[in-house]
Amino acid sequence: MSRLIIVTGGSRGLGLAITRALLEAGYSVATCSRSQGEALPAMMEACPDRLFWQEADIGNAASSQAFIDAAVRRFGAPWGLVNNAGIAREGILATLPLVEVDLLIQTNLSGAIQVARAVLRHMLSRPGGGRIINISSIIGQRGYTGLAAYAATKAGLDGLTRALAREVGRRQITVNSVAPGYLDTEMSGTLSGGQRDQIVRRTPLGRLGTADDVVPSILFLLGDGARFITGQTLTIDGGITC
Amino acid sequence: MTDTHAMLDLIARETARILSEKGEAAAAVTADTAFLEGPLPFDSLDLATLIVALEELTGKDPFRQGFRQFNTAAELAALYAAA
Repeated sequence: MSRLIIVTGGSRGLGLAITRALLEAGYSVATCSRSQGEALPAMMEACPDRLFWQEADIGNAASSQAFIDAAVRRFGAPWGLVNNAGIAREGILATLPLVEVDLLIQTNLSGAIQVARAVLRHMLSRPGGGRIINISSIIGQRGYTGLAAYAATKAGLDGLTRALAREVGRRQITVNSVAPGYLDTEMSGTLSGGQRDQIVRRTPLGRLGTADDVVPSILFLLGDGARFITGQTLTIDGGITC
Repeated sequence: MTDTHAMLDLIARETARILSEKGEAAAAVTADTAFLEGPLPFDSLDLATLIVALEELTGKDPFRQGFRQFNTAAELAALYAAA
Protein backbone atom coordinates (compact mmCIF):
# COMPACT_ATOMS: atom_id res chain seq x y z
CA MET A 1 0.00 0.00 0.00
CA SER A 2 1.31 3.46 -0.84
CA ARG A 3 2.31 5.90 1.88
CA LEU A 4 -0.46 8.10 3.24
CA ILE A 5 -0.04 11.87 3.33
CA ILE A 6 -2.60 13.98 5.15
CA VAL A 7 -3.06 17.38 3.51
CA THR A 8 -5.28 19.93 5.22
CA GLY A 9 -7.09 22.39 2.99
CA GLY A 10 -6.66 20.39 -0.23
CA SER A 11 -9.62 21.61 -2.22
CA ARG A 12 -8.08 24.69 -3.82
CA GLY A 13 -4.98 26.81 -4.28
CA LEU A 14 -1.69 25.40 -3.04
CA GLY A 15 -3.40 22.54 -1.16
CA LEU A 16 -5.08 21.33 -4.33
CA ALA A 17 -1.80 21.47 -6.25
CA ILE A 18 -0.09 19.49 -3.47
CA THR A 19 -2.85 16.89 -3.48
CA ARG A 20 -2.66 16.49 -7.25
CA ALA A 21 1.14 16.17 -7.24
CA LEU A 22 1.12 13.62 -4.41
CA LEU A 23 -1.37 11.43 -6.28
CA GLU A 24 0.78 11.66 -9.41
CA ALA A 25 3.79 10.64 -7.32
CA GLY A 26 1.98 7.51 -6.12
CA TYR A 27 1.04 8.53 -2.59
CA SER A 28 -2.35 8.02 -1.01
CA VAL A 29 -3.84 11.33 0.11
CA ALA A 30 -6.41 12.20 2.75
CA THR A 31 -7.51 15.78 2.59
CA CYS A 32 -10.15 17.95 4.14
CA SER A 33 -11.70 21.34 3.62
CA ARG A 34 -14.88 23.17 4.45
CA SER A 35 -16.26 22.40 0.98
CA GLN A 36 -15.18 19.99 -1.72
CA GLY A 37 -14.52 22.63 -4.36
CA GLU A 38 -14.63 22.11 -8.11
CA ALA A 39 -11.56 19.97 -8.83
CA LEU A 40 -11.58 17.29 -6.13
CA PRO A 41 -14.61 15.27 -7.33
CA ALA A 42 -12.95 14.42 -10.65
CA MET A 43 -9.70 13.54 -8.89
CA MET A 44 -11.59 11.27 -6.48
CA GLU A 45 -13.23 9.57 -9.44
CA ALA A 46 -9.83 9.06 -11.08
CA CYS A 47 -8.15 7.78 -7.89
CA PRO A 48 -10.90 6.26 -5.76
CA ASP A 49 -8.49 3.98 -3.89
CA ARG A 50 -5.91 6.63 -3.05
CA LEU A 51 -7.80 9.86 -2.43
CA PHE A 52 -10.06 10.49 0.54
CA TRP A 53 -11.81 13.76 1.35
CA GLN A 54 -13.91 14.73 4.33
CA GLU A 55 -15.51 18.01 5.23
CA ALA A 56 -13.72 19.53 8.21
CA ASP A 57 -13.13 22.87 9.85
CA ILE A 58 -9.48 22.94 10.93
CA GLY A 59 -10.30 25.61 13.48
CA ASN A 60 -12.54 23.10 15.27
CA ALA A 61 -10.57 20.41 17.13
CA ALA A 62 -13.41 17.86 17.11
CA SER A 63 -13.90 18.33 13.39
CA SER A 64 -10.24 17.89 12.47
CA GLN A 65 -9.89 14.91 14.84
CA ALA A 66 -12.87 13.22 13.16
CA PHE A 67 -11.21 13.74 9.77
CA ILE A 68 -7.89 12.24 10.90
CA ASP A 69 -9.61 9.29 12.56
CA ALA A 70 -11.52 8.60 9.34
CA ALA A 71 -8.36 8.88 7.24
CA VAL A 72 -6.50 6.43 9.49
CA ARG A 73 -9.41 3.99 9.42
CA ARG A 74 -9.29 4.12 5.64
CA PHE A 75 -5.52 3.96 5.00
CA GLY A 76 -3.73 3.19 8.28
CA ALA A 77 -1.14 5.34 10.04
CA PRO A 78 0.08 8.32 8.00
CA TRP A 79 3.62 8.74 6.73
CA GLY A 80 3.31 12.47 6.33
CA LEU A 81 1.32 15.58 7.13
CA VAL A 82 1.16 18.80 5.16
CA ASN A 83 -0.33 21.41 7.45
CA ASN A 84 -1.61 23.64 4.67
CA ALA A 85 -5.07 24.87 5.66
CA GLY A 86 -5.14 28.54 6.43
CA ILE A 87 -7.07 31.74 6.04
CA ALA A 88 -6.03 35.33 5.45
CA ARG A 89 -7.70 38.38 6.96
CA GLU A 90 -6.37 41.80 6.05
CA GLY A 91 -6.76 44.92 8.11
CA ILE A 92 -4.89 47.39 10.26
CA LEU A 93 -4.61 45.63 13.61
CA ALA A 94 -6.00 48.57 15.59
CA THR A 95 -9.31 48.17 13.81
CA LEU A 96 -9.29 44.50 12.87
CA PRO A 97 -12.26 42.96 14.69
CA LEU A 98 -11.19 40.69 17.53
CA VAL A 99 -13.40 37.98 16.12
CA GLU A 100 -11.21 38.00 13.00
CA VAL A 101 -8.03 37.86 15.10
CA ASP A 102 -9.41 34.88 17.01
CA LEU A 103 -10.43 33.15 13.79
CA LEU A 104 -6.94 33.57 12.32
CA ILE A 105 -5.24 32.15 15.39
CA GLN A 106 -7.76 29.34 15.77
CA THR A 107 -7.47 28.22 12.15
CA ASN A 108 -3.87 28.94 11.16
CA LEU A 109 -2.11 28.16 14.43
CA SER A 110 -4.23 26.30 16.98
CA GLY A 111 -5.76 24.17 14.23
CA ALA A 112 -2.37 23.27 12.80
CA ILE A 113 -1.03 22.37 16.24
CA GLN A 114 -4.06 20.19 16.94
CA VAL A 115 -3.68 18.38 13.60
CA ALA A 116 0.05 17.84 14.17
CA ARG A 117 -0.69 16.46 17.64
CA ALA A 118 -3.31 14.06 16.34
CA VAL A 119 -1.13 12.85 13.47
CA LEU A 120 1.92 12.45 15.70
CA ARG A 121 0.05 10.11 17.97
CA HIS A 122 -0.38 7.76 15.01
CA MET A 123 3.22 8.22 13.86
CA LEU A 124 4.54 7.40 17.32
CA SER A 125 2.41 4.27 17.50
CA ARG A 126 4.45 2.58 14.80
CA PRO A 127 8.19 2.66 14.03
CA GLY A 128 9.60 3.97 10.78
CA GLY A 129 9.64 7.74 11.06
CA GLY A 130 7.52 10.28 9.23
CA ARG A 131 7.30 13.77 7.81
CA ILE A 132 5.52 16.91 8.95
CA ILE A 133 5.53 20.01 6.77
CA ASN A 134 4.00 23.25 7.98
CA ILE A 135 3.10 25.74 5.28
CA SER A 136 4.11 29.08 6.74
CA SER A 137 4.81 32.29 4.81
CA ILE A 138 7.40 34.97 4.22
CA ILE A 139 4.85 37.27 5.88
CA GLY A 140 5.73 35.54 9.16
CA GLN A 141 9.41 36.32 8.60
CA ARG A 142 9.27 39.87 7.25
CA GLY A 143 5.78 41.17 7.99
CA TYR A 144 3.43 43.13 5.77
CA THR A 145 1.19 46.08 6.54
CA GLY A 146 -2.33 44.92 7.28
CA LEU A 147 -1.31 41.33 8.00
CA ALA A 148 -0.04 41.54 11.60
CA ALA A 149 -2.26 38.82 13.03
CA TYR A 150 -1.76 36.61 9.99
CA ALA A 151 2.01 37.12 10.29
CA ALA A 152 1.88 36.13 13.96
CA THR A 153 0.18 32.84 13.10
CA LYS A 154 2.72 32.03 10.40
CA ALA A 155 5.68 32.92 12.61
CA GLY A 156 4.07 30.68 15.20
CA LEU A 157 4.09 27.80 12.73
CA ASP A 158 7.83 28.24 12.22
CA GLY A 159 8.29 28.08 15.98
CA LEU A 160 6.20 24.92 16.05
CA THR A 161 8.45 23.47 13.36
CA ARG A 162 11.67 24.10 15.26
CA ALA A 163 10.44 22.87 18.63
CA LEU A 164 8.67 19.80 17.29
CA ALA A 165 11.68 18.87 15.18
CA ARG A 166 13.74 18.64 18.37
CA GLU A 167 10.99 16.75 20.18
CA VAL A 168 10.37 13.93 17.69
CA GLY A 169 13.68 13.71 15.82
CA ARG A 170 14.73 10.65 17.78
CA ARG A 171 11.94 8.76 16.03
CA GLN A 172 13.18 9.83 12.60
CA ILE A 173 10.18 12.09 12.18
CA THR A 174 11.26 15.27 10.43
CA VAL A 175 9.44 18.58 10.81
CA ASN A 176 10.02 21.44 8.41
CA SER A 177 8.34 24.62 7.23
CA VAL A 178 7.85 25.67 3.65
CA ALA A 179 7.43 29.43 3.43
CA PRO A 180 6.05 30.59 0.11
CA GLY A 181 6.30 34.18 -0.99
CA TYR A 182 3.51 35.96 -2.76
CA LEU A 183 1.65 33.36 -4.79
CA ASP A 184 -0.80 33.99 -7.57
CA THR A 185 -3.67 32.20 -5.79
CA GLU A 186 -7.09 33.13 -4.49
CA MET A 187 -5.51 34.19 -1.18
CA SER A 188 -3.50 36.90 -2.95
CA GLY A 189 -6.59 38.14 -4.74
CA THR A 190 -7.02 40.93 -2.21
CA LEU A 191 -3.76 42.59 -3.31
CA SER A 192 -4.34 45.83 -5.21
CA GLY A 193 -2.79 46.30 -8.63
CA GLY A 194 -0.25 48.67 -7.11
CA GLN A 195 0.71 46.16 -4.44
CA ARG A 196 1.17 43.41 -7.02
CA ASP A 197 3.37 45.65 -9.18
CA GLN A 198 5.49 46.58 -6.18
CA ILE A 199 5.97 42.93 -5.19
CA VAL A 200 6.96 41.98 -8.73
CA ARG A 201 9.45 44.89 -8.89
CA ARG A 202 11.09 43.78 -5.65
CA THR A 203 11.27 40.11 -6.63
CA PRO A 204 14.59 39.21 -8.29
CA LEU A 205 12.90 36.56 -10.41
CA GLY A 206 10.42 39.18 -11.57
CA ARG A 207 7.00 37.65 -10.98
CA LEU A 208 4.59 36.32 -8.39
CA GLY A 209 5.03 32.66 -7.59
CA THR A 210 2.63 29.90 -8.48
CA ALA A 211 1.63 26.75 -6.61
CA ASP A 212 3.73 24.78 -9.09
CA ASP A 213 6.81 26.67 -7.90
CA VAL A 214 6.26 25.38 -4.35
CA VAL A 215 5.02 21.82 -4.82
CA PRO A 216 8.36 20.19 -5.88
CA SER A 217 9.98 21.23 -2.60
CA ILE A 218 7.15 19.65 -0.65
CA LEU A 219 7.56 16.41 -2.59
CA PHE A 220 11.28 16.52 -1.83
CA LEU A 221 10.78 17.08 1.90
CA LEU A 222 8.31 14.18 2.05
CA GLY A 223 10.73 11.85 0.31
CA ASP A 224 13.55 9.66 1.59
CA GLY A 225 16.17 12.08 0.23
CA ALA A 226 15.18 14.62 2.89
CA ARG A 227 15.66 12.22 5.81
CA PHE A 228 18.42 14.35 7.42
CA ILE A 229 16.68 17.72 7.07
CA THR A 230 14.61 18.84 10.02
CA GLY A 231 13.68 22.00 11.88
CA GLN A 232 14.24 24.13 8.79
CA THR A 233 12.21 26.74 6.97
CA LEU A 234 12.53 26.56 3.21
CA THR A 235 11.64 29.92 1.69
CA ILE A 236 10.30 29.86 -1.86
CA ASP A 237 9.72 33.44 -2.88
CA GLY A 238 11.59 34.28 -6.06
CA GLY A 239 14.22 35.95 -3.91
CA ILE A 240 12.14 38.80 -2.48
CA THR A 241 13.47 38.23 1.04
CA CYS A 242 17.09 37.72 0.03
CA MET B 1 -12.85 -0.39 36.36
CA THR B 2 -9.58 -1.80 35.00
CA ASP B 3 -7.78 -4.15 37.36
CA THR B 4 -4.51 -2.58 38.55
CA HIS B 5 -2.54 -5.82 38.15
CA ALA B 6 -3.79 -6.38 34.62
CA MET B 7 -2.93 -2.76 33.86
CA LEU B 8 0.56 -3.25 35.24
CA ASP B 9 1.03 -6.26 32.96
CA LEU B 10 -0.10 -4.20 29.99
CA ILE B 11 2.29 -1.38 30.89
CA ALA B 12 5.17 -3.86 31.18
CA ARG B 13 4.33 -5.39 27.80
CA GLU B 14 4.05 -2.06 26.00
CA THR B 15 7.21 -0.74 27.64
CA ALA B 16 9.07 -3.83 26.43
CA ARG B 17 7.73 -3.29 22.90
CA ILE B 18 8.85 0.36 22.85
CA LEU B 19 12.31 -0.56 24.15
CA SER B 20 12.59 -3.31 21.55
CA GLU B 21 11.66 -0.91 18.74
CA LYS B 22 14.42 1.38 19.96
CA GLY B 23 16.90 -1.46 19.83
CA GLU B 24 17.34 -1.48 23.60
CA ALA B 25 17.84 -4.65 25.61
CA ALA B 26 14.78 -6.00 27.40
CA ALA B 27 14.32 -4.65 30.91
CA ALA B 28 12.05 -5.92 33.65
CA VAL B 29 9.24 -3.55 34.60
CA THR B 30 7.87 -4.01 38.10
CA ALA B 31 5.49 -1.95 40.20
CA ASP B 32 8.39 0.10 41.53
CA THR B 33 10.03 0.78 38.18
CA ALA B 34 10.47 4.52 37.62
CA PHE B 35 10.09 5.59 33.99
CA LEU B 36 12.35 8.60 33.68
CA GLU B 37 14.80 8.75 36.53
CA GLY B 38 15.67 5.12 37.02
CA PRO B 39 17.74 2.52 35.17
CA LEU B 40 15.11 2.09 32.43
CA PRO B 41 16.45 3.52 29.12
CA PHE B 42 13.25 5.53 28.66
CA ASP B 43 12.94 9.20 27.71
CA SER B 44 10.02 11.62 27.65
CA LEU B 45 9.13 10.73 24.04
CA ASP B 46 9.07 7.04 24.95
CA LEU B 47 6.75 7.84 27.83
CA ALA B 48 4.46 9.80 25.49
CA THR B 49 4.46 6.83 23.12
CA LEU B 50 3.49 4.55 26.01
CA ILE B 51 0.62 6.84 27.03
CA VAL B 52 -0.69 6.94 23.44
CA ALA B 53 -0.49 3.15 23.19
CA LEU B 54 -2.29 2.66 26.51
CA GLU B 55 -5.08 4.96 25.41
CA GLU B 56 -5.49 2.99 22.19
CA LEU B 57 -5.57 -0.32 24.05
CA THR B 58 -7.81 0.69 26.95
CA GLY B 59 -9.85 3.54 25.49
CA LYS B 60 -8.98 5.55 28.58
CA ASP B 61 -7.12 8.84 28.91
CA PRO B 62 -6.53 9.76 32.56
CA PHE B 63 -4.75 12.92 31.40
CA ARG B 64 -7.67 14.37 29.45
CA GLN B 65 -8.25 17.11 31.99
CA GLY B 66 -4.57 17.87 32.50
CA PHE B 67 -1.33 16.26 33.54
CA ARG B 68 -1.33 14.08 36.64
CA GLN B 69 1.89 13.33 38.42
CA PHE B 70 3.26 9.80 38.48
CA ASN B 71 6.72 8.28 38.71
CA THR B 72 6.43 4.52 38.82
CA ALA B 73 4.65 1.86 36.81
CA ALA B 74 2.32 1.15 39.75
CA GLU B 75 1.34 4.83 40.01
CA LEU B 76 0.59 4.92 36.28
CA ALA B 77 -1.45 1.71 36.49
CA ALA B 78 -3.47 3.21 39.33
CA LEU B 79 -4.36 6.23 37.22
CA TYR B 80 -5.79 3.96 34.51
CA ALA B 81 -7.53 1.75 37.02
CA ALA B 82 -9.29 4.77 38.46
CA ALA B 83 -10.16 6.36 35.11
